[in-house]
Amino acid sequence: MLKLYLLIFVVGIIGIAGYGAKYYYDTTQATIATLRENNVKLETAVETSEQSLKTLQGDMVKLGNLNKELSISLQKAEAYGDELRNKLSKLNLVVEALKDSKQLEGKMNGATANLWRGFMGDTGGDGKRPLPQWLLPLPGRTGDQSSNQSGEGENTDSIKAETPPAQ
Amino acid sequence: MEKVKIPTVSRPKPLQLSDTRVFVVTKDNYEEFVKEFTDAYGDLAFVALSMKDYENLALNVADIKRYLEQQNEIIVYYEKAVTEEKE
Repeated sequence: MLKLYLLIFVVGIIGIAGYGAKYYYDTTQATIATLRENNVKLETAVETSEQSLKTLQGDMVKLGNLNKELSISLQKAEAYGDELRNKLSKLNLVVEALKDSKQLEGKMNGATANLWRGFMGDTGGDGKRPLPQWLLPLPGRTGDQSSNQSGEGENTDSIKAETPPAQ
Repeated sequence: MEKVKIPTVSRPKPLQLSDTRVFVVTKDNYEEFVKEFTDAYGDLAFVALSMKDYENLALNVADIKRYLEQQNEIIVYYEKAVTEEKE
């Protein structure tokens, strides 16, 4: 009878140990699987963030270059107005008109025509449209001849950047 | 990281400007101007500007030109910024 109890006890102990081992094994495997999944997720996350960082760095460089270009272009756009202001400050148009009204008129019309064509060209239009009749050189009309076709006749640098009045 | 894709749109219609003519008139050539003007346009009716106002007008147009060019450069900047560079 004692042997039977002993046998039952030993079998019980072995069973408990076996169950414990199985439980430990299962838990460990589950943990390993979870860790493996987490590892994959982490690797993906790291890859994504590295990619994002690379993209951001690329964008930073690109935007830096674009900013530099923009600053230069914005500065360049100031040139026309500055040049005109400078020329007008050195000139007295009343004196110029009294001296040679036809020449001044020609320069004004030439510069005006060029300015309009510049606007049209800059916006994708026809910037090379033929000049109007009154700017074309005509025999016996010295004023209009000096008005030149491009606003660049004799001494035109004085006001060749002149802009026009409204029609 | 997903970049937001903004499509660029086409530019507005180009400017189609009409030519304008200026007459410079002084006391010395007034008679000649009247004749030339009447021959060309018929009636003697015109808009007169003082030289100072002409200068102001010229400077105003220059400033508008400056604004248009800068606005255009800013548009180009944004277009380049949202466009993927071809590698």
